[in-house]
Amino acid sequence: MAESYTIIYVIGALVAAAIIVMSVFFIVKAFRRAKLIGMDTKVLKKTIKNSAIFSIVPSIPIVIGIGIMMQYLGIAIPWIRLTVIGALQYELIAMDTAGKALESVAPNYTSQMLIANAVTVMTLSILGGLIFNLIAYKKYQTKLADLQKKNAKLMDAITGALLSGMLSGMLSAILVGGIFTVGKPASYTGGINNYGEIVLITLAASVVIMALCGLVMIVFKQKWVENYALPITILGALAVAYAFVPLFDSRYIVESQKAIKLLWAVVPFVGV
Amino acid sequence: MTKDKNKTQTREQYNLQMHNYGRIFSWISMALILFVPVAYFIASKTVPSVKALVKCIPFLLGYFAVGLVEAVSYAPLLGPGGQYMSFITGNISNLKLPCSINSQAIAKVKQGSEEQELVSTVSIAVSSITTTIIIVIGLIPLFIFQEQIVTILNPISPYVIPAIFGGLTVVLAAKYYKTAAIPFISCIIICVGANLAGFGKVFDQSTMVIVGMIVSGLSTFILYKKNKI
Repeated sequence: MAESYTIIYVIGALVAAAIIVMSVFFIVKAFRRAKLIGMDTKVLKKTIKNSAIFSIVPSIPIVIGIGIMMQYLGIAIPWIRLTVIGALQYELIAMDTAGKALESVAPNYTSQMLIANAVTVMTLSILGGLIFNLIAYKKYQTKLADLQKKNAKLMDAITGALLSGMLSGMLSAILVGGIFTVGKPASYTGGINNYGEIVLITLAASVVIMALCGLVMIVFKQKWVENYALPITILGALAVAYAFVPLFDSRYIVESQKAIKLLWAVVPFVGV
Repeated sequence: MTKDKNKTQTREQYNLQMHNYGRIFSWISMALILFVPVAYFIASKTVPSVKALVKCIPFLLGYFAVGLVEAVSYAPLLGPGGQYMSFITGNISNLKLPCSINSQAIAKVKQGSEEQELVSTVSIAVSSITTTIIIVIGLIPLFIFQEQIVTILNPISPYVIPAIFGGLTVVLAAKYYKTAAIPFISCIIICVGANLAGFGKVFDQSTMVIVGMIVSGLSTFILYKKNKI
């Protein structure tokens, strides 16, 4: 594993602290504003619970991403990169692009040179959204607010269109990507296979579990299910995916059994 | 004095305050982010290869443009507080936005209302805290059992997005089926065409989200003009 320097850990700690301070600050501001406009703060309290539960499962791949990237960049840089702005897929592509460019101009590069180039490319290319917010977002948001005042119906149509577009784009990419990799798995980050069959099964399982939650909610009048429906759905669909992975990858069984054996062998020594 | 001001604060004044705070946090974050490579150069006594960096310019510009497009298109969905936080903490389409949409659906807030903005802000803030804490907690076992953890959990990583978006579609389909039908069919056609032409990797999830938003914007505008929505 590549060396991580103390100063990078210090920056990482500062970044994590800054994010927590900023988030708490915005929560406090939102609660004060809610009270001022006469909004029931119970709604926001419920939002805190829902959002915390929802965010646990999708955060796990981010941790795994650090595990994959730390082999090349050490532990501190992936930690920072995946705590701010970045997203796993983007960071890996940026790292790969920087590595290939370096290889083409300096074939005998050192691991420090690779990290220096990779972290520069990763940092600079992700700044587009942040710079937009600093320069133009205030004006843009004021225009959106004006439109909301003058023509609420049009603004509703715009937000509906953006949500529909995001869902359509994401769903079509998942569906078509899944169908085109049936029988010929694509390679995914970390050298594992991404099976089209499992993508489609997971998507179907997610739809079915959410529909069942809706049914329980409506037919059996279990209103509490509403708050946990999406986390339950994500966990259930991932459990289905996990069950199918060994069926499609016999090599995975051997490796995961090895890993579990290793894990159990070290557990007594660390007192877990 | 400030308390009195806050008591009579309009939505515009509140949003202005959010912009000011959001910008301060954005500047702090940008300074910290930009300091990471500089700190690495100093600590490792290494400088990056300028020739290799020049070769990465097309990639840099491409991703920079994607960031700009994302900021413009996500803004109406996130609200001021949510927008600043999301573009500081990242993982928007796979975590922050679905989390905010889910919270808005549960809270049953009206589109474009101030309540919607507040729910979105709180949702994204809590999501950011949760992820930051999970990452910090995850670093410890990762440091000790890196290989084993990655081996056990990595096989399900490609399936997290389908697991989120299948359920989310059920939640939103009933509400947005009118505006979603045309972009969905168009996106399927574009995706199939791209895969058949061998450009499947280019038209991945992040590209298709932008394509979907553009198609949906156009088709919804036509439907709006014809009074069909």
